[in-house]
Amino acid sequence: MLDVTDSPDSPAGTASALRSPLLRRPAQPTLIRAVVIVVLLVFVLFGLPQLLSLYYVDAMTQVAVYAMVALGLGVLVGRVGLMSLGQVAVLAVGAWSAARLLFGTGQPYPLVLLEAGLVTMILGTVLLLPALRLRGLYLALITLMLAGAVTVVLATLNFPNGGGGFSGYDGNQTHIPPIRRPSIATSDPAYFRYSVLVAVVMFALVAIHIRTRPGRAWAAIRQSEPSALAAGINTTAYKLWAVALASFVTGVAGGTYAGAVHYLYPYDFPAYTSITILAVVLMGGAYNLWGAVVAGLLMQLLPALLQNWGVSNDWLTILFGIGVVQVLTTAPRGLADQFPKDMAKLGHLLMGLVRRPVPAAVPETTGGETP
Amino acid sequence: MPSWQNFQPFIVTGLALGGVYALSGVGLVVLYQATGVVYLALGAVGAMGALISYSLIAAGVAPWLTWLVCLLFSGAVTLAYGMIFGPLLAKREPLVKATATLGLLLVLFGVMDLLWTTSSGKVRSLTFPTDGHGFSLGNVNITWTQVIGLAVGIAITIGTAAFLRFTKLGTAMRAMANDREITATLGVPVRRVEAAAWLGCGILAGIAGLLLADMVALDATTLTFLVISSLAAALIARLRSIVLTFVAAIVVGLVQNMLVPIPALTSYSNMAPFVLAAVALLLISRRRVITLSREEA
Repeated sequence: MLDVTDSPDSPAGTASALRSPLLRRPAQPTLIRAVVIVVLLVFVLFGLPQLLSLYYVDAMTQVAVYAMVALGLGVLVGRVGLMSLGQVAVLAVGAWSAARLLFGTGQPYPLVLLEAGLVTMILGTVLLLPALRLRGLYLALITLMLAGAVTVVLATLNFPNGGGGFSGYDGNQTHIPPIRRPSIATSDPAYFRYSVLVAVVMFALVAIHIRTRPGRAWAAIRQSEPSALAAGINTTAYKLWAVALASFVTGVAGGTYAGAVHYLYPYDFPAYTSITILAVVLMGGAYNLWGAVVAGLLMQLLPALLQNWGVSNDWLTILFGIGVVQVLTTAPRGLADQFPKDMAKLGHLLMGLVRRPVPAAVPETTGGETP
Repeated sequence: MPSWQNFQPFIVTGLALGGVYALSGVGLVVLYQATGVVYLALGAVGAMGALISYSLIAAGVAPWLTWLVCLLFSGAVTLAYGMIFGPLLAKREPLVKATATLGLLLVLFGVMDLLWTTSSGKVRSLTFPTDGHGFSLGNVNITWTQVIGLAVGIAITIGTAAFLRFTKLGTAMRAMANDREITATLGVPVRRVEAAAWLGCGILAGIAGLLLADMVALDATTLTFLVISSLAAALIARLRSIVLTFVAAIVVGLVQNMLVPIPALTSYSNMAPFVLAAVALLLISRRRVITLSREEA
């Protein structure tokens, strides 16, 4: 279900995708895949919280949040070729809106998540609408600039801490109430399950988009904007759609994050995290929905593991830096795509090593080169 | 509204910072023109150079020697990156080239945080002997460091413009900016010209790193992301004109600092580079025509 790997550079894939869904690559054994996903999901929802300590349950909640962030960025990078350098600002906007709504109203949590997503979506599209004429490098750089501006505004505005007014921030507050969680998921393991379910809904939303008309339009735009235009695709509308979808998903992730951490501060969203997110998305693979899961694990589980082992997180930053250069130079489709191939290669190699003695013995007995 | 008196010191700091933004902005433009790479790791390289300089001074090495080491370090790292990854990515679109430099940024950032960790709350500073001396203009005190900031910016701008205009290497760089393939066909040693651009950009990064470490703060994160201000200037100049980059850098520096004395806008002053660059980018795109070429800019 989730494995939507339409090739980024094969023209045949796009052309057929444009013509009719019937002409696309025949589906893999979908039933098996669906069963695997369901089993995996059941394990993650019910097995993991039992097996892991609270420390790792919290880390896995963050993995769910960042998998959503990576999913949003994956839509931008993998579908319309927009390398956003400011996803943390989008996440912060989502978290801010959710926190404000959670403090200000008694609405149920899913509704707040939806609204946070919508607020982020509107803000994201409004800010990027004038920039959509730009492409490539300039578009990436304008996201960097806009994110920088949004970060400054949020740092000045501060995150809601139960105060009144628009900002919901009261600097004189002595007792800061925690941001509430949904009533059905107040404990950490329960909130972990809740976050995973939210993430699953978001992944399904994106998967549906990729499978249907917008996904095909994005594939055409990524191949060549002029030809997409010539084929009658409203490129601006579909690009904006991708931005809207990505902002929505990231906004929902922000809302989930707000409940996970209980307290929000501007320094939770440093600018360099945007770069780390882009790095892990590129490493995980932006063309593949599994890549977003890999990215979430890289971004949040690895640091938790390293911290537990007493290794500095800086090694991870260095690793991501090397990883992003490596991915860009040699494996443009990321780990989610590269890893199975590497494993297959390794398998062949091992098989070859196992088999080798048999054919190697043949020339020795018949040739008799060694006296 | 604050009076003119309140603005005066901020005009001075704005001009000084603008000068430094200009010199790294010029580095960005020259490198982009010669190689097609927007060097986003410029700030990180300079920051690490400044931190090395700081550690050497703490170890008792003569300051001028440590400044030299800083320039050598940033030049060498930049050159090495350019020589290894430049050819590998030469045929890719500008976006990929720029994104790859983010990899270098992350590596340097990780190393800096590892070696000069900030989590212990230790505040470092790098000072020049020129900090304490200066003169008064009206009732504003101006330090020689601030004068140096602006002067170096002007000197580098004029120097680079003259270099591109009058020297053989400069002409080759301008030719590469026009068309890499044709330039190579004409017998210009493309790789060597690119190497010169990388080295020059790296050294400028080192100078900017030292000056900003003194003027702003010796902190890995701050210095790494100050590249955005220079980038803003370079983008306003559409990554083309060096003189325009200088003017834009001065404007960015001035606007950013002159917002500080206005109470309502103080906390938004750091938005200035972002907003100016975003507006400039939008103006660039105003009359864009969709073309088949993958190149942008």
